[in-house]
Parts: sequence; structure tokens; C-alpha cells
Amino acid sequence: MNKAMRNPYIYALFVIPALVLFVMFFIYPLINAVYYSLTNWNGVSDNLKFWGIKNYTKALTDETFWNAVKNNGYFILFSCFIQVPIIVISSLMIANVKRFKSLYKTAVFMPTVMSTAVIGILWGFIYNYDVGLFNKILGFFGAEAIDWLGDPKFAMLSILITNGWQWTGFYIIMVLAAILSIPKDLDEAAEIDGATGYQRAMKITMPLIMPVVSVVIMLSIAGAMKAADIIIVMTKGGPAGSTDVMATYMIKYAITNFKYGYGNAISVIIFVFTMILTVLYQVLIARRSERIEY
Amino acid sequence: MRALKKSINHIVLMGYLLIILFPFLFVIFSSFKLNNSEIALSPFGLPEHFVWDNYVTAWVNAKINVYFLNSLYIAVLSSCVTILIGAMMSFAVTRMRFGKISTLLFQLILLGMLIPNTSLMLPIYLLMQKMNVLNTHLALIIPYVANAIPFTVIIMAQFMKSIPSEIEEAAVVDGLSVGGIFAKMVLPLTIPAIVTVFIVNFLGNWNEFLLSNYFISNDELRTLPTGMVQFRDAYQSNYAQMSAGIVYSVVPVMVIYAVLQKKIIEGVTAGSVKG
Repeated sequence: MNKAMRNPYIYALFVIPALVLFVMFFIYPLINAVYYSLTNWNGVSDNLKFWGIKNYTKALTDETFWNAVKNNGYFILFSCFIQVPIIVISSLMIANVKRFKSLYKTAVFMPTVMSTAVIGILWGFIYNYDVGLFNKILGFFGAEAIDWLGDPKFAMLSILITNGWQWTGFYIIMVLAAILSIPKDLDEAAEIDGATGYQRAMKITMPLIMPVVSVVIMLSIAGAMKAADIIIVMTKGGPAGSTDVMATYMIKYAITNFKYGYGNAISVIIFVFTMILTVLYQVLIARRSERIEY
Repeated sequence: MRALKKSINHIVLMGYLLIILFPFLFVIFSSFKLNNSEIALSPFGLPEHFVWDNYVTAWVNAKINVYFLNSLYIAVLSSCVTILIGAMMSFAVTRMRFGKISTLLFQLILLGMLIPNTSLMLPIYLLMQKMNVLNTHLALIIPYVANAIPFTVIIMAQFMKSIPSEIEEAAVVDGLSVGGIFAKMVLPLTIPAIVTVFIVNFLGNWNEFLLSNYFISNDELRTLPTGMVQFRDAYQSNYAQMSAGIVYSVVPVMVIYAVLQKKIIEGVTAGSVKG
């Protein structure tokens, strides 16, 4: 029987399709991006000159690129300091109620299953200057209308709110799953000992869900680094570059302006930044919150 | 005191639900309104008369019907191919006896979860160009399959590992080949995982925007998300019709979600926690 399950030909036959696709779509593009990032190629002509790290120095000294990096930073800050507290508090609340629990659980996740493009259109409508919901609400309170997506002061914030609206539920579900898997007797024992709900949340639940919160933060950082579609749909990076992020900057150069080599340098920088952030986060923070067994 | 706290909980959570649901209600109401001025005059109100024409216009004139079928075709086909290829790989690394190689292959595939796929978009564009499939459905189907493989293998391999190994012994006694064991025994036992993976991949493909926006330029071949963006740009000033278009692209996903929400939540959380 061992012999049948050790047939190398069948083994090869079974792993090759996945492996070929994996190499074609992960390994090869990665090498390819690094290679072209060192050239001046425009993506079309046969004319290709190797020019070392010129693309990288150009990017790293370009103010508009750093503006894009800053906007990625806003994504990260917004998710860590605004979204994560909302996620944790909402999860604790949902875990605490008995009635409507599954209603809350189902509803909060709903935006996550929708297409980012459609969410972008839907929210673009809500932000609309003339007929949008937000300006109607402002008008109701007698405040001045705001050009949410057209004003450089508000455009980035508007996108962050939309992005938060879409993804908060996704993370709530993850944190909620962790809370619900904590054995009930831990909480009950603390309650008998006279701990208040707040104390139990802070002293028992919070430490136990830290590993998952840590995963949530990591995923938000990774998500923030690759954010692009919501921006392309809502503002295309505008007005005046105020909502450009690294990925949209990359697309703008490589596809719209035919600077393929330069675009690839940005790809590599996105890749490296993401890896650095992931590793830094792992080393500095995630490791300290040790795994807890119960 | 306790009861009071619970009701505060409910009030806050209901507020949260309202924030989630309000945009949908706003768009649904708007989709039945006569024109922009009716939307502007009573943004929160029910439509005065239900104008179904918006839906007819969006479906036919704006070609939502074409985009819808393209999306369906691409999402179903990619998800099915992913499952077949992913299942074969998972079977080989979990059930066949090639210990070290299998561990290595599995870890290699895991690596795919770490790579930010946006940063590989340009080389993949080039690859599709070289394969001469740009501006055909294949330009989306092949990358969709490839991108979904890490997640699929992780979930399926995990599931296949938990099937007792006596299965193979019994099968060999019955004279089944390896292929037979895969197709007739392991695959049917893996159906719960297959369903989860199919739904998650289907939704991912159905919703994908970046690749379909840049790899497809023929309007007849567009998928729903990019088609919707085209539609919005063309009908920018008619918000009632635009709302009807949004409803078309939201409703199918909502129906799928309502029916299968448990599986979807399971699959998505499993995938992300392991990644």
C-alpha cells in the first residue's frame, strides 16, 4: 500500500500544475520586477538600457513619491489607532449580548463581501457635493457643504472612512471568533470572585485575544501597503495627488506614462517596505505578546 | 444595572448596524426616484413613485447584462480550475509519501500569502502580453487561478490531513489506483473544504478590480466591477440610474452572502489567521 502512495510520476503530475502557476505568477514576476527596475525600459520598444539603481534614487528623491508613502502611512495610522479600537470594542460588545448576536455578526461582515469598485461608486455618491448624503446631513444642521472628494483637505479622510467602513467588519469577525473560543469558566470564575465586566474584559479577555489583534494589525498594515483599487475608483489619486498611494503612483508611471522600469522600481519598493514592516512588527511587538494556551 | 448595560450595548451596536445599512438604503431608495432633483430634495425619503425605468435602462443600455455574464463565467471557471489544481497539490503533499519534499513544497506555496500581489501586477501584465492573451478572458482567468492557489492549498491541505490514513489502506485492498483514491475517496470527503474554498474564491474573483481594469480594454469583455466604473463615468449625472446599476451589482452578492454566510465567514477567517 505504501508503494501505491509513493508513485513519483503521479506525485509530479499532481504538484506540477500548481507549482508551474506559482513560479509563473509569484517567483518569475518578482525576479522580473527586480530586473526591469534596473533599466530604463518603457514597456513597449526594443530599446532597453541597463542603468543600475537610477530608478530607485529617482523615486527616493521624488517629493510626489514621498507624498504617496505618506498617504500609505495615513492608511496604517488610521487602521491602528481608529479602526483597531473600534474593532476590539465592537467585538467585546457583540460577544457580550445574547439576543441578536447572529444578526450583528452577519451584518457587520456584509460590506466585506462587496466589490471594492462598487463600494467606491456607492460612497462616491454619498460624498457627492449636490445630492450626497453627507452634505444633506451637514445642510440639516445648517453647516456649509463640503466637497468631500474634490477638496485636497478632505479627500484622503473620505477614502479612509470608506475603506474603514468596508473592512472593519472583516476584522471584527476574526476577533469575535477568538473571544468566543475562550472557555466560559475563566470568565465565570472571575465573576464569582467579584470582578466587574470592565475588569474581566481588561484582565482576562484582552490578554487572551492579543495574538489575534496582532494578526489584525499585521493584516491592516499589509492591506494599507497594497491599497489601490478604492483610490482608483474614487479619486484616481487626485485632487492634486492628495490621495495618491505607492500602488497608484506605480500604476500611473508604468501604465499611463510608459515608464515601465521606473514603475517596477516602485513595485520592488512596495514589496521591500511591506516585508520590513512585517518583520519589524513581528520582532518589536508580536513576539512580546506570547501565545497563551488554555 | 446589568440590564441597563446590556441595553447600552444593544443601542451602540444598533447604531453601528445603521452605519452599515444606511448607504444601502440610500442607494436603494435613490434607484427608484425620478431624477436628481427628487434625490436632492428628499435624500432620506421614500421615492414618490417607484420608477422601474431606471432598472431597465441600467440593465440594457448600460450593458450590465453583458458585464454580469462575463463576471459569472470568469468567476465560476477560475474557481473550479483553482479547486482542481489546488486539490491535486494538497492531495500530493498530505496523502502521498514524500515527507521532506512535501513539507518544502507546502512552505513554498505558503510564501505566496506573504507577497503583496499589487507589487507584482506590472510583470504579470507583461507576462499576459507575452502569452498573447491580453484583452481576452484568459488574461483574468489564469492570474485569478494562480493568485488563489496559496489560500486554496492551505485550507484543503489542512482538511485532507485530518482524514484518517486507513482510507488508503482500504482502497488499495479494493484495488484502487492513486488516481482512484484521489477522485473516489479523498475528494468526496473533502467536499466541506471545497465548498468553503469555492465560495471565498468565487467572491474574490467576482469582486476583483485592478487586473480586470488594466488587462481588459474591450467593453464587451469587461467584468461587473470595471463595467460599473465605466457606467458611472458615462452616466455620471444621472444618479437614479447609477443607483439602479449599483443595486444590480450588490444584490447577487448579498443573496449569496445571506444564504452562505456561515461558510463564507468560516473560510475567510480560516484563511487569514493561517496566512
